Amino acid sequence: MARIIGGIGTSHVPTIGVAYDKKKDNDPAWAPMFQGYVPAAKWLAEKKPDVVVIFFNDHASSFFFDLYPTFAVGVAEEFEVADEGAGKRPFPPIKGNFELAAHVAEQLVNDEFDIATFYDRPLDHGVFSPLPLLLPHEPQWPAALLPIMVNVIQHPIPSARRCYKLGQAVKRAIESYPEDLTVAVIGTGGLSHQVHGERAGFNNEEWDQEFLDLFVDDPERILNMKLADFVRLGGAEGAEIIMWMAMRGALPENIRCLHRSYYLATSTPFAVALYEGTDEAPRAVAAE
Amino acid sequence: MNPQLEGIENLEGTYPFDVRQSYRARKLNRFLWHLRLPEYRAPFVANEEAACRAAGLSDYEVNLVLKRDWLAMIKYGVPMFLIEKIARVLKITNMEIYAIFRGETFEEFLKTRRVPSAA
Repeated sequence: MARIIGGIGTSHVPTIGVAYDKKKDNDPAWAPMFQGYVPAAKWLAEKKPDVVVIFFNDHASSFFFDLYPTFAVGVAEEFEVADEGAGKRPFPPIKGNFELAAHVAEQLVNDEFDIATFYDRPLDHGVFSPLPLLLPHEPQWPAALLPIMVNVIQHPIPSARRCYKLGQAVKRAIESYPEDLTVAVIGTGGLSHQVHGERAGFNNEEWDQEFLDLFVDDPERILNMKLADFVRLGGAEGAEIIMWMAMRGALPENIRCLHRSYYLATSTPFAVALYEGTDEAPRAVAAE
Repeated sequence: MNPQLEGIENLEGTYPFDVRQSYRARKLNRFLWHLRLPEYRAPFVANEEAACRAAGLSDYEVNLVLKRDWLAMIKYGVPMFLIEKIARVLKITNMEIYAIFRGETFEEFLKTRRVPSAA
C-alpha cells in the first residue's frame, strides 16, 4: 500500500528561484531564506520518498482562461519546466509516476472530485521555485512528481474547506494504491502578500504566524474562514494558503511540526514548514 | 455575488480578478499570455503596436500596452500574472511594478521593505 509519510509547506514566490539560480546562498540578505529549506531538504534526503505530491497553482503559464480548471491532476510520464517569459530555467524534466497518477485521477472522480487531468503542460514557479531547494536534481530528480493544480487566480476560487477535502480524497486515493510507495505531500504558496493594485506589497506577519499555529493545532478555524478573510488578513494573493490546506487534508488529523521558518525580506515571506503525523490512536493508559 | 468574496469590496487598492473581468479582457489577456513564447516575443519587440494590432486589440487596449499603464490594466481585467509575462520581455521586475501600483518611486518603495538589499 502506498502511504503518506509527511508534508511540507513552502512559499513559491519567483524570487526564490532567481536567488537560487544566482547562487545567493552566501548573500546575507538571502542566507536566511536558503537556511529555511535545509531541514526540509534533509528530511527528504533521509526519507527518500518515492513520490512527491505537490498542490500548486499555475500563474497563467500553462493554462489560459478560455478553459481554466479548478483542480487538475498531472497524469504524465514527465513534467517540463515552463518558460514564463524570461527563458527556461536549466533543470531536467521531472518524472511522473504514471500509473499512480492515473489511479489517483480515477479514485478522485469516483470519490466525487471531478478533477481535470493534464499532460504536456510545463509547470511554472508554483512548483519549480521551491523544488530545487528541496530536492537535488543533477543529473535527475530523485522522486517522481504528482502535480495537482489548484485555481487560485481567477474567481470563483475553491474555498479552503474544499481544498482540505481534496487533500483528504488524495490521501484516500494514495492509500488505496497497492504498490508499496512512500509519498511526501507539498503545498506551495503564500504566505501574506499582494501583487496587484495600490495595496501591492501588503504583508501581515502577525496573521502569518497565527496561520502557522492554527495549521497544526486548529485547522478547523482556518477552514471556517472565507477567501475574503484571507484577502483582508493576508493580501489578495495570500489566498494561496488554500494549497497548504489541501496538503493539511492529506495528513493525519494530528500532526506535529518538525521545522518552521519565516523570513520576510521584500514582498512575500519565505515560509517553510515540515510536518509528520503523530500517533493517531489515543495514548494508552500506562500499563502499571 | 460570490459568497466567498463577501466584504472584499471594502478593501482599497484590491481588484479581484473573476470570470467577468476575464471575459472582458480576453483578447488583451491572450495577447499577454502569448508573450511567454519566444515566437511571439520577437515580433512584439520589433514593433509593439503592430503586434498589438495583429492580435486585434482595441485602441484602448493598445494604449494600455504602449503606455505601460499597469494599474489601468489591473482595473480593466488583466491579472498581475499576465502583466508579469510582458514585464519579463521588457526587463521590468515585479517589484518595480509594485512601486508603480502604489504611486511610489522604486527607491521609496524599497524604504518600506524590511530588507531592501534583497531586492
